[in-house]
Amino acid sequence: MTRGKLSLLFLLLCLTVFPSVALASEAGHGHGGINLGEVLPLYSCIPFAGMLLSIALFPLFAPKFWHHHFGKISAFWAAAIAIPFLIAYKGQALYEFLHIILADYVPFIILLWALYTIAGGILLRGSLRGTPVVNTVMLIIGTALASWMGTTGAAMLMIRPFLRANNYRKYRTFMVVFFIFLVANIGGSLTPLGDPPLFLGFLHGVPFFWTFNILPHMLVAVGILLVIYFVLDTYFYKKEGVTAPVEEGVKEPLKVEGIYNFIFLGGVVGAVLMSGMVKWGEISVLGVHRGVQEWVRDGLLILLGVLSLIATPKKLREDNDFTWFPIQEVAYLFIGIFLTMVPCLLILKAGAKGQLAFLIETVKEPIHYFWMTGMLSSFLDNAPTYLTFFSTALGGFYPGMAEAQAVPLLIAENNIYLKGIAAGAVFFGACTYIGNAPNFMVRSIAEEAGTPMPSFFGYMLKYSIPFLISTFIVISFIFFV
Amino acid sequence: MKLTKVLFATKFRELAFDALESLLDLKAAGLKEIILTYIIPREEVGFVPYGGYMKDEEERLREQARIRFEDWQEALSKAGVDSKIRIEVGEPVPKLVRIAEKEKVNLIVAGRKKRTALEKVYVGSHTLDLLRRSTAIPVLISKYMVYCDMEGQCVRRVNEHPFQRPLFATDWSKPSQNALEFITSLKGAVDKVDVVHVIGVKISKGLDKTELYRIEKESKERLDKYCATLKKAGLEAEPHLAAGRTASEIIRLSRELNSTMIVQGTTGKDRVKEFFIGSVSHRIAEASELPTLLVP
Repeated sequence: MTRGKLSLLFLLLCLTVFPSVALASEAGHGHGGINLGEVLPLYSCIPFAGMLLSIALFPLFAPKFWHHHFGKISAFWAAAIAIPFLIAYKGQALYEFLHIILADYVPFIILLWALYTIAGGILLRGSLRGTPVVNTVMLIIGTALASWMGTTGAAMLMIRPFLRANNYRKYRTFMVVFFIFLVANIGGSLTPLGDPPLFLGFLHGVPFFWTFNILPHMLVAVGILLVIYFVLDTYFYKKEGVTAPVEEGVKEPLKVEGIYNFIFLGGVVGAVLMSGMVKWGEISVLGVHRGVQEWVRDGLLILLGVLSLIATPKKLREDNDFTWFPIQEVAYLFIGIFLTMVPCLLILKAGAKGQLAFLIETVKEPIHYFWMTGMLSSFLDNAPTYLTFFSTALGGFYPGMAEAQAVPLLIAENNIYLKGIAAGAVFFGACTYIGNAPNFMVRSIAEEAGTPMPSFFGYMLKYSIPFLISTFIVISFIFFV
Repeated sequence: MKLTKVLFATKFRELAFDALESLLDLKAAGLKEIILTYIIPREEVGFVPYGGYMKDEEERLREQARIRFEDWQEALSKAGVDSKIRIEVGEPVPKLVRIAEKEKVNLIVAGRKKRTALEKVYVGSHTLDLLRRSTAIPVLISKYMVYCDMEGQCVRRVNEHPFQRPLFATDWSKPSQNALEFITSLKGAVDKVDVVHVIGVKISKGLDKTELYRIEKESKERLDKYCATLKKAGLEAEPHLAAGRTASEIIRLSRELNSTMIVQGTTGKDRVKEFFIGSVSHRIAEASELPTLLVP
């Protein structure tokens, strides 16, 4: 698409959104400090939908264009909401944008960056032979690590050794798919470090260890999937009839390099924990109030990332094929996601008084939350989806109540709903390549290494629906009915 | 040491083939094989946000490179030089260094950057990184055709025969010794070598005349020794002593002497050291309009 066409599209969108937003603002001005969520029109959510649909559709239908212009597309959608919203609501809109940037986006990106940087300094060397037992053990290790070093970190640490161990095997595709299921998604459900949606929950007041409530759900999902994996791997291993490859040259012993990075990972856990346990007062930055401990946590995370960069030899990162590109991509895309989701979140928080009241009324039972959060997480990134349904639940149970009061109440009185949202967001992120950021990174590395990966729909039809969805049905019956 | 194998890294920018052809002068020095190398940057084909890997795009780039290289191979074959094609995906600089080490080449030849009005440098960040990273193999920055300022005018300069009259700038260091040895391996391709030493401002500042004369005398003797080594190897050589700011003096002399290339030893400073201490060899590589050969 040419720059001219893009500009025209942007103009049309602004013209569509702006009058409605402006009218709504006129309606609300008489109330002084208006509740934006109650007056915002539904179409102010168009840029958010456009942003998420761009992420879902461009990689499928125009991957090359998307690859080179995703930053501009993200900026386009962000501007499409920011400009009319700022014109219409001025200071109040500016506050909402600054709030989401400073309170959500910045800590979110800092945590991802720190985990990505530190995990990228750990290298697993050695000649492993990918038998069903070895592969299953590697998947268990990756799954266990994911909650502590992030699904991205664990996936990046384990995927290359996993691929190397199995490069002599004929059927490798299903292995990588199960790797995505377990290491890149479900494994990250135990702590806010594991998966971005849970960290967003933590930033909004969900205690660090609350996520351990998902342990039974996780164990059931992991158990079922590992058994299926082992059976499949054993079947294909026998079918292939391959024996261990003749070692080329000297067999390299198993070795973990950059092990000191685990200390930095421990530091990350400590910093995040600390920010949830202490209260050192608040400071206002650009009018946004945040706890001092939160700024300290962000500073510590940056420090830990920098220390990892200094301590880890460049050669080790190169041997790990470490690159900044994926994290840059996430940073560019998520600024668009966070800015465009502002109206949507405000409307949801307004509960029955907002334009998304129908959604709140539809989603009532825990199982609804599990499946609705999940299904949308499959096709949209799971972090914003989590926040959307988190806000839906708050708006549904405690409309108009401040988040700081509403979240503890939600946990105390309606814990199962939050479990449904958290498990749905994390688990269903595995259903498609676009459900969670590490999915596409793993796919990219596997394809580069010569492992054929299924298409977008092939992945869903051959793997997600038969294996994942059936597992989630079991989980629904055990935990949410 | 014999110079038999060269790695030629390219991004297929304009005049890349002419730069390759200019290496054929090395045949007279014993060149037997050129490894034609193209690294597809991983970011070009991989990590499509939420999309994965563009296998088709990789294939297209590979095929495109292969067709170009095969065309070049014909020309090389006619000139009597063997060649091999290496097309890989990855991080360009580490990948190049790895291939060079694996292929056991004697020299890496890399890029040329179009100088822009804003940043008057001829070396891109990748090439500069290659200079820092190649700690065992010499790197030649080929600048086949460049635009430079001469007597207040912007002129086009074509470096067709870079090895003809190299200016060898020495600071008496171990890498300089290595560079001297490397130049002797260029016998046959070289007409004459100008051996240069600059008594830098840092050294001469605050010295009394006696001490300065002593350094001057010692430098001249060392220059003569270097020239003698080159002559012994069958190369014509001429000593030149200069004083002042090292980098600008070397560039000035290279113009006065009609040099075709600047050869230096390099200690391979990393980014941090380079930022604080500075690297004369890298500065010259960036600022000179001549091809620059750095020997670690």
